[in-house]
Parts: sequence; C-alpha cells; structure tokens
Amino acid sequence: MAVNDEAAFWSIIAYLISGFVFWGGAGAIADHFLGTGYLLIVGLVIGIGSSFWLIWLRFIKQ
Amino acid sequence: MTGTLAIVGFGLSTIGPGTATGLIFAAYINGVARQPEARSILQPIAFLGFALAEALALFGLVLAFVLK
Amino acid sequence: MHTFLREANDGFVPPSSADFDFAPIFGNSILFTKPVLMVFLSVVIAATFFIASSRKAAIVPSKLQYAGESIYTFIRNELGRDVIGPEFMRFVPFLFSLFVFILVNNVFGVIPLLQFPTMSHIGFPIGVTIFSYVCYHYVAIKKHGLGKYLKDICFMPGIPKPVYLILTPVELLTYLVTRPLTLSMRLFANMFAGHLLLLVFVLGGEYLLMSGILLKFLSIFSFGLAIGLSFFELGIQCLQAYIFTLLTALYIAGALADEH
Repeated sequence: MAVNDEAAFWSIIAYLISGFVFWGGAGAIADHFLGTGYLLIVGLVIGIGSSFWLIWLRFIKQ
Repeated sequence: MTGTLAIVGFGLSTIGPGTATGLIFAAYINGVARQPEARSILQPIAFLGFALAEALALFGLVLAFVLK
Repeated sequence: MHTFLREANDGFVPPSSADFDFAPIFGNSILFTKPVLMVFLSVVIAATFFIASSRKAAIVPSKLQYAGESIYTFIRNELGRDVIGPEFMRFVPFLFSLFVFILVNNVFGVIPLLQFPTMSHIGFPIGVTIFSYVCYHYVAIKKHGLGKYLKDICFMPGIPKPVYLILTPVELLTYLVTRPLTLSMRLFANMFAGHLLLLVFVLGGEYLLMSGILLKFLSIFSFGLAIGLSFFELGIQCLQAYIFTLLTALYIAGALADEH
C-alpha cells in the first residue's frame, strides 16, 4: 500500500528527532553539571545509534 | 541585521540531505514503477538511505544550535 | 546614478514573525484577535456550506449537494475505507470534520481581505493535534488494554535485555511527544513559511514601487510572483489538510492493528 510509505516516512523522522533529543539532551545536561565538554558528542552518538536500531527493527527488518 | 551565522550554515547544509532524499525517493519510485513486485525489496533499502540522509540533516541542526 | 536607482532613503524592512501578531479586536483582551475570529468564521462557513448542501437532498443532486457529497465521499473512501479498514465508519465523522476545519482555515491564507492562514499560529495546530492524539491513544487503549499497550510500546521483541535501557526512553518519547509534535509542526511550518514568502514578495514589491523610476518597473515582477505563489500556496494548503488527515487515519489504523 502506498500510504504505508507516508506513515513510515514521518515515523522515521520522529524516531531520529527523539533519539537526538533524549540522548543528546542527557549528554548536554551531564556536560553542564560535570563541567566536561565531550559528553554531548557521546550522547549524540548514542542517540543516533538507538534511533537507527529502532528504525531497523520497525521498518527495515521485515 | 541581527542573528547568528550558524543558522545560515545550517540552511546551506540542508541542501545536501534535501537533494539526497529527493534522489533516493526518485530512484525508489522509478524502481517500483518499472517492477511493482520489487516493492518489498526496495522499500527497506529506500528507508535506510532516507534515514541516513535525514540523520545528517538533524546532526547539522543540533550543531547549529550547540556550536558557538 | 545612485539616486536614480534609490530615491527612498529608509532601508527595506524584511517581514518577520512580528508580522504574525495582531492587535486585540475588543478592548485589550489578548484572547480575541484576528486568528481567533477567523476560527469562529471557519466553523460558521463550514457548517453553513454542509447544512445547505445536505438540506434538500435529492436523488438527482444539485450542484451544491454534489460538491458537498464529493468531499464527503473522498474522505470516506480514500481515508476511511482504504486506510483504516473494516471498522472505518466510526471514525469518518471525526476525519471529515478534521479535514474540513483545517482546509477552511488554511485556505483563508489566500482569500482576499482575510489573507492570513490561521494555522500559522502554533497554538491552533497543537489544539487540533490534541484531538487526534487523544483519539488514537484512546482507541489503542480500548482495543488492547492499558498494560498491553504500554508493554507493546516499551518492550519490542528481538533485542537483548540490557539494550532496553537505551531504546525504551527513545521509543516512549517518540510515541508520546515526537510523533504528535511532528504532526502539528509540519502543518504550522508550512503555513508560516508560505505566509512569510508571500509577505516577502508583496512588501518587496511595495518597496520597489516607492523607489527610483527603474525599480518601479521591476516591482511588476515582484507582484506577479506574489500572485503566482498565491496559487502555489493554495495547492500546498489543500495538500497539508489532506496529509494531516491521512496521518491521523494512519495512526488510528496503527492503533487498531493487532501488533505495533
């Protein structure tokens, strides 16, 4: 069905945003309180990894 | 004029993922139009490519806000 | 040469988000401004049109009845039957009013004298999204039960146990915040950007018209482009109303499905 593509399209964007926001945000907060500078990047990498894992499970691995 | 140059940089950096998304879905539509039964094979590949391209755009957005 | 090109000395003021703020209509109550008035107007327009079109329903339909029925048939068949499946009839009134409400409010953006899409204020798309958010979560909880629904969202099969610690927050955030947020944000951003684009060309044309003699002729292109883009905007406004309703229908269909 063609309409399934539309839902998957927007769900992928939503997954990517929430991965970045949650783990990147956690990294930024940790940076702010611990006084370090690298945790934001670590958080962003974890976020992108978890987003891709979820997208893989939901849409790619049939 | 007020504002930050990082937003202009983000605007420029969205050209790449935007073009990439267009190319990916153009190829996907082309493939499905030529061979409709190949949809189930093509769909995961198209979405994987789209997710990779879109992640780069969001990475640019985050860095535009973070980098001072 | 310089004065020939530019006689007006005051610089061009580009449109900004301040152009989206309106003065209160009655007194100084901030609750009642032009967008709020337009929401009420849209309800009156939609209700009047559909009551008038179904008032004298006949077997051989009049033009008005045909117009009203074709919109209804489009929503029922394309969005209800094809997307939701066998139980679609329960949701058709909701989808239909959602579509018509968003459509009328969007099309206000290109109607002369009104010329402001209501949905370019973020509050209105969020308000509409809350309806669809409550609707599809309610349907899913009623169908599967609260515990099973949350378990379906939080713990998906096929991954090792410690990874749940990383993936479950992202999954919860997606279902509860990001998906409705993208739903409202897309509608808002399209209407906002479209209205801003029209403002740029209209204000730019006005500025050129006030400038030197050579630039007066160039203002024709600016105004012409503004008129052309108005028709382009009309297409986008109809498309956005359709996509919003389509995604609501898809989320309802996902809530009704057996597994997520």
